Amino acid sequence: MIKRWMILLMTAVLLTVSGCGSRSPETGTDAVSEHADGQKTFVFGDTTFNAENGEPDINPHNENGGWACIRYGVGETLFRFNDAMEIKPWLAESYENVDERTWVIRLRDGVTFTSGRKMDAAAVKECLDALVSTHVRAAGDLHIEEITAEGQTLTIRTEIPVPALLHYLADPYGCICDVQAGVSEEGIVQGTGPYRAVSLTTDTGMELEKNENYWNGKPKIDHITIRTISDGDTLTMALQSGEIDAAYGLPYVSYPLFETGDYTFTGCATSRVFFGAMNYESEITSDPAVRKAIAMGIDKEGFVETLLGGNGYPAVGVYPDTFSFGGDRVTAETYDPEGAAQVLEEAGWTDTDGDGVREKDGRPLVLRWLTYPSRQEQPLLAEFAQATLGAIGFQVEINNTADHNRIRADRSAWDIYVSAMVTAPTGDPEYFFTYHCLDDSPQNDGRYHNDHLEQLADEMSRTFDEGRREQLAVEMQQTILNDNAYVFCSHLQMNMVAKATVTGLTAHPCDYYEITVDLDINET
Amino acid sequence: MKMAGKTGDGRYQKRKISAKQKLWILLILTLLLLLAAIFAESICPYDPNMQNYDMALKPPDAAHPFGTDRYGRDMLSRVIIGARTSIFSALLLVLIIAVIGTTVGVLCGYAGGAVDMVLMRVSDVCLAFPGLVFALAIAAVLNGGVGNAILALAAISWPKYARLARSQTLAVKKAAYISAARLAGDSPFQIIVRHILPNIRGQILVTAMLDVGTMMMEMAALSFLGLGAKPPTAEWGSMMSEGRSMFQTYPWVVLTPGIGIFVTVVLFNLLGDAVRDCMDPATRKERGIL
Repeated sequence: MIKRWMILLMTAVLLTVSGCGSRSPETGTDAVSEHADGQKTFVFGDTTFNAENGEPDINPHNENGGWACIRYGVGETLFRFNDAMEIKPWLAESYENVDERTWVIRLRDGVTFTSGRKMDAAAVKECLDALVSTHVRAAGDLHIEEITAEGQTLTIRTEIPVPALLHYLADPYGCICDVQAGVSEEGIVQGTGPYRAVSLTTDTGMELEKNENYWNGKPKIDHITIRTISDGDTLTMALQSGEIDAAYGLPYVSYPLFETGDYTFTGCATSRVFFGAMNYESEITSDPAVRKAIAMGIDKEGFVETLLGGNGYPAVGVYPDTFSFGGDRVTAETYDPEGAAQVLEEAGWTDTDGDGVREKDGRPLVLRWLTYPSRQEQPLLAEFAQATLGAIGFQVEINNTADHNRIRADRSAWDIYVSAMVTAPTGDPEYFFTYHCLDDSPQNDGRYHNDHLEQLADEMSRTFDEGRREQLAVEMQQTILNDNAYVFCSHLQMNMVAKATVTGLTAHPCDYYEITVDLDINET
Repeated sequence: MKMAGKTGDGRYQKRKISAKQKLWILLILTLLLLLAAIFAESICPYDPNMQNYDMALKPPDAAHPFGTDRYGRDMLSRVIIGARTSIFSALLLVLIIAVIGTTVGVLCGYAGGAVDMVLMRVSDVCLAFPGLVFALAIAAVLNGGVGNAILALAAISWPKYARLARSQTLAVKKAAYISAARLAGDSPFQIIVRHILPNIRGQILVTAMLDVGTMMMEMAALSFLGLGAKPPTAEWGSMMSEGRSMFQTYPWVVLTPGIGIFVTVVLFNLLGDAVRDCMDPATRKERGIL
């Protein structure tokens, strides 16, 4: 009886094993057959192309969809950034700033959308009109009063002077697409880029095909697959197994696996900063001494060196030192645990009951640290700060949750909100402040307010002179740093890892341009 | 087992000793483990939460037999201190479900009628959900933390004991000595405490012993998914979860808490088996312990 059962079991196991085994050769032949007809394919794995990140699709008028649109080579903007983050014409050919509120932009000739329509001023006007009517942030940045189109000449008139208009037009939301061709149900738009989206599934990925009529060279890959792989470990294994050809967002601890010569790394500093916003409505962080102690109690160098394995840059202010108004143009509190302890001591936060946590008026120094896991640096930073702040008498309670957007709206639920933001997506300093630090900022989560900062911001919004804007940027950063309203921990080093056969995939400081016409893969 | 039955008396003799010895050996080992967990703080060679960045991700060596994690914390110390969270939360959990489940079961079995109907339907509802999924939902609503994880698992695990205690009670209830006790004027409470509980406790105890390992695994699973222990609390499941991206590059960060779970679960399962062998009349007879 037992024997018979054993035989049955063994057969079942064998069947299962052979079933699994026969599957891999099948996929193998699939890959070969695609190569047989001379087609080049490329698979890109990305942790960020998902709805949680505001990228449910590639419609630039929908949340952060523009990021996916521009990164994967579907859309292009009127202006773009070069490697030094200077603004250069792209779909535009030239521009003229007629007066403070009028810009005349001459568009490039001979560009067609993947829908087949010619890109002329009328098409661009339709696209920008649609943008400001649906995208709140874009509308707030651009302040467009009226656009007139004539042939290849576009005239933009703004309600108020917008000195950074060209920079804003280079933001991913400024991808120019054919509005008449519309947005498909899947969220696909027709852009002007080297690749054309053929199918898209939110949180799963996208299929691209080359745009035969591309205006700026010949795309080299026939078929590109973008795969959303939100989990870093899965991404690591996908690259190891050869399932994907290149990856964005690999965990740093996986890097040693790819330092073998079979893979290439491309990376550069970006303006994405990991920073904490203090809650001014909390009884803990509304105390200036507590904020100062937090700023002095985080060892940024140690964090970058050890936990990020050197894949980052300790931050001082809002911008990295690749910006003329960034890096150590400003000064912030430096890591000084003894000093921080003294600041707390002087402010009346003392450990009366000897449990290692300071108290003041019977209230323990508990810091509720809100952050989210989709950026791998953030949980590490939280646990890192938990230890260093713990040493000076804080009790840090970490709430690391994907539900952070809901929780941060409830200002009674957190003391410091740690997130990651691209502080200068447009290469211009104004964005960060208008978005985070002012009374009418959409993301002033901690209800920070400073009269002087409001004045400076007002001046910046009217200043065209680049030099003066830089000065203002420095002064404004220094203001928020003096208040310790924010603590800036590190800047992201954006990295992509690709098989050594992949060429033309280069990290760019603005983090926008990934798949370009230069991308190629040389099968050997 | 059956092989032993076929051989001669000498084998029986041998079996008899080894079964009891086995129980003792396992009891001593478990006791050692519990003592290690209780006195974890004095055994730990380092402060388990102390971060030391010069020592991050060092492979096992003489100074750090289990290596260090990415914060430079000593893994051996963390595994030892993690034993406390992991083992005691599992024991507490089993205690809670055994007590609640048995109480409900005995009550249902003895009282019958409407009480039985209502309570058993409630337990049916709890049994109708896939266990870990239901626990996940509860833990997610209550937010993470060891306490809430225990609560979540308790909410799905008590019906097993209720069912067991109920069926045992029903069997015992018909026995002549219960009728005799009732005729002698014992109150229902006295009957339950003096006559029913002592007669069903063996089964419950064995089930509970065998459950410790399972519960530890489920606690670890919840922690692994981020709904159990919160940082910097060392807990085996969450330690494995934290280290999972380092499985290929720095394997000791995942393997050492994994070994902790493995050894403990195996030990408690063997102990449960041994206890059953010594308490269950059927196996006792078969193995010649009686």
